[in-house]
Amino acid sequence: MHLDVYGDTLCALVTAAGLASVGHNVTLRLPYGRVRERVLANHAAYSEPGLRKLISSQNTAGRLNFSEFSTLPGEDSRAVFLALNTGDETAAENIVQRLTQKPDRRWLIINQSPFPVGFTELLQSRIKLETPENKSAVVCLPDFLQEGSAIDGLRKPSQIILGCSDGHAELKVKEIYRPFSREVDRFLVMTEREAEFTKLTITGMLVTRISFMNDMANLADSLGVDIEHVRQGVAADPRIGPAYLYPGVGFGGPGFANNVVNLVDTLKASGVGSELLTEVLQINERQKDLLFRKLWKHYRTDLKGRTIGIWGAAFKPGTGRIDNAPVLRVLEALWAQGARVQIHDPEAIPALLEHYGSRADLVSASNPYTAAEGTDGLMVLTHWPQYGSPDFERLRQLMRSPVLLDGRNIYDPATVREYGFTYYGVGR
Amino acid sequence: MNAFKAIPDTGSTAIQQAWSELGTEARRLENTHLAEMFASDPERFKTLNVRHGPMLLDYSKQRLDAAALDKLGALADACDLKTWIGRLFSAEPINCTENRAAMHWALRVPADTALHDPAPGVFASVQSQLEKMGGMVRKIHNGQWRGMTGEVITDVVNIGVGGSDLGPLMVSRALNDSTLIRDKPLGIHFASSMDGSQLAQLLKLLKPQNTLFIVSSKSFTTVDTLYNANTAKAWLERSLGAGDELMHCHFIGVSSAEQKMNDWGIHHENQLQIWDWVGGRYSLWSCIGLPVALRIGMIGFQQLLAGAHLMDNHFRSAPWESNIPVLMALIGIWNTNCLNINAHAILPYDGRLEKLPSYLEQLEMESNGKSVTRDGQMVQTHTCPVLWGEVGPNAQHAFYQLLHQGTEVVTCDFIAPALRYHEAMHNSDSEELVRQHELALANCLAQSRLLALGEDALKGEGELPDYKRYRGNQPSSTILLKELSPFSLGAMIAAYEHKVFAQSVIWGINPFDQWGVEMGKKIATETLGVIRNEAEPEFPLDSSTNGLIDFIKNQ
Repeated sequence: MHLDVYGDTLCALVTAAGLASVGHNVTLRLPYGRVRERVLANHAAYSEPGLRKLISSQNTAGRLNFSEFSTLPGEDSRAVFLALNTGDETAAENIVQRLTQKPDRRWLIINQSPFPVGFTELLQSRIKLETPENKSAVVCLPDFLQEGSAIDGLRKPSQIILGCSDGHAELKVKEIYRPFSREVDRFLVMTEREAEFTKLTITGMLVTRISFMNDMANLADSLGVDIEHVRQGVAADPRIGPAYLYPGVGFGGPGFANNVVNLVDTLKASGVGSELLTEVLQINERQKDLLFRKLWKHYRTDLKGRTIGIWGAAFKPGTGRIDNAPVLRVLEALWAQGARVQIHDPEAIPALLEHYGSRADLVSASNPYTAAEGTDGLMVLTHWPQYGSPDFERLRQLMRSPVLLDGRNIYDPATVREYGFTYYGVGR
Repeated sequence: MNAFKAIPDTGSTAIQQAWSELGTEARRLENTHLAEMFASDPERFKTLNVRHGPMLLDYSKQRLDAAALDKLGALADACDLKTWIGRLFSAEPINCTENRAAMHWALRVPADTALHDPAPGVFASVQSQLEKMGGMVRKIHNGQWRGMTGEVITDVVNIGVGGSDLGPLMVSRALNDSTLIRDKPLGIHFASSMDGSQLAQLLKLLKPQNTLFIVSSKSFTTVDTLYNANTAKAWLERSLGAGDELMHCHFIGVSSAEQKMNDWGIHHENQLQIWDWVGGRYSLWSCIGLPVALRIGMIGFQQLLAGAHLMDNHFRSAPWESNIPVLMALIGIWNTNCLNINAHAILPYDGRLEKLPSYLEQLEMESNGKSVTRDGQMVQTHTCPVLWGEVGPNAQHAFYQLLHQGTEVVTCDFIAPALRYHEAMHNSDSEELVRQHELALANCLAQSRLLALGEDALKGEGELPDYKRYRGNQPSSTILLKELSPFSLGAMIAAYEHKVFAQSVIWGINPFDQWGVEMGKKIATETLGVIRNEAEPEFPLDSSTNGLIDFIKNQ
């Protein structure tokens, strides 16, 4: 089938390449920007395992082509995917507006963008307004891809949630996704609005678990118990399970934070408001500078002139993105108190430098030990695997004062203390 | 106390001449009702109003005319007002009893001024303290001022009294609509009363780890303030423990007494300086205005200063007949000394100005509530009248009865902004609110009209029984601002400051000291010892005080 994908999100790239890989003819319409440049130059636009290779091979095979974001799909296009970023609602409306300029075409528009609840219906009503007789359909297929395992997520979905109230459109979507839904019907069909809300509710539930554990971790801190033991005990309860129970310095990321905010905004706009989610977000924001607060107290509220090492800037391991990452809050807090920072991250340094530009109190280090050299404290903010077992002896000798702040609870406090470090974790 | 005279028998011949001529004018006009003045001159408003910058002063409802104003101007000349203005805008110690200059005007001179420094380094030190304050404001606004536990400061409490309270409080309330918009609004609170009333309430609502205190006291010896500050400190220590960190994170000091701030424990980085040439009631333009800057941001604070600076330049350069502060002063002199009216009401028709009456009570009565001249003689004329006031629409339900039908003559200042609720922060609900503002404006104009004209304003009401009659002839001025903004408020407050100064020149008194408030503080210390059973009075107390102390102790 000939398909058109608009957007440069991870979802856009994975959807386009993944659908091409099962035989569809896909035109990926990228807006101008960094992602487009990287893709056209055959570079990785996202640090997503296997994605660059998949795009490249599908392009070579001729099933994945690149085209302009601003032009209309070709005559033989059977479906149009909108995989845009949060906040790009206007771009989506413009695309739909342009599609209605061909009133005799029966479009199938598949919205995957994380827009507010009700937006898919809004797009549908735009078409009806412009061309009342037209039978085009807009459906909602929320994106559940997880960074780091996005391609598998597309190929082996446990479930595909489809918001669709048009029987014809439903059949077409199922046909497009047939290769991924072959053994059993993976589709769960509901209204567009319900599908959008499902996506937001899942995200809300996950972040609530994280904030809950962080809240417990703060209690553990003052009760003198180790939250890690508590977490394992809680995870063993089958009614709860182990996922999303790790206390830490807060969640970030373009999807996570934005989606929750989106949900809150959606509710606020309707005058209802979710007190629980507002609280969840507040706990998360507070959590982001937890390590700063510990350091502030350690140095008796005087950080002026001190040098702090940071390991990890990305909002999670396996990505180079810093959207809403705790590192942003930590850096700004440290700088405001007159401290300078030496930072290491295997992937996120370019994003960080792009965000802050060059400044004297931000030094990026090419290896973790350089970042720790001469510092008055070392903070671990991202759980990159290579930080798991450092040479503690070397580390202690490199640092001016051996203060280790473990924002992901990856070290054993007793071991680290034996090496002569002052150790601070999250809830332990 | 001597009897007050219409014509003082001291002072230069020119001054006595001017007073004598004014007396003639007053007798000429004493039987003319304001209604007649309006009837005989349809252009009265045109000749008796003045505008400058954002401000309009309408004094056509005062019981004077061009000839009387002329004589008032002559009095100002005879009293050397022009020279005295020059002295004010210099480093000369015109606060003679304390041998200090009064350079509050220097606080609002912009950084890029072409003016000459009155003394070496004055402008530079003003700018350096403003910058230091700006840094603190930025840090607090960015959520980077941290408490001792690293928590973000969400609430700031200003502890101060008198000038260190009324000015910042009045301006913060007045400029509420210019509040800097932030994700999480900053709580700004004020605690002044020595009995701890406000503080007791606040401490119940605030969290120690999120609260920052500003201790504002020019001398840093004010008992009221230090008691409140000690209570705040003890409250913090109970939760957070004592120590340098607590002082580093939870207290800012604003004072001219650096050593006293050090002694009390204010961290050096957290000290903001004022100078002995700033009087307390003239200090909101300095770092005493920190709560204002926290509310409206540094850009807003600079606009407040710019408005006052505009008025400074106007006061220095405009001829008497178009000089707003001088006209306000001369009108006051006319009412007090020529028409013998000793009560003055401040009536803002805008709830945001609710603290303006208290502020002006201090500014005028603490400045000019004096009866000894600069030469050390008893004054021979009346000086400052009794001032009070209230938000106009509310006062209409309280003391306006006396204004309309009582036996006292009272002069009034009506104050209102022409525009309101057009700021960005008002949106969907603004249409109804604009209508409410229009209602307030209508009341403002109607009340001043009825007070001035009396029954002449009630044509068509027919014959009224005596108890429904309005005699009118109560003089008033109306001050209209384009809108209530940092700039226009700055200009208006500076106009009142200079009014007070110009009057002090004519009365021959020093407006910059306040010896009348000192002794009470001193004997309170002795009384405290008696109440606490810690000391015997040095001399026997009077029977009233003893009786009251007995009652207190017996409870």
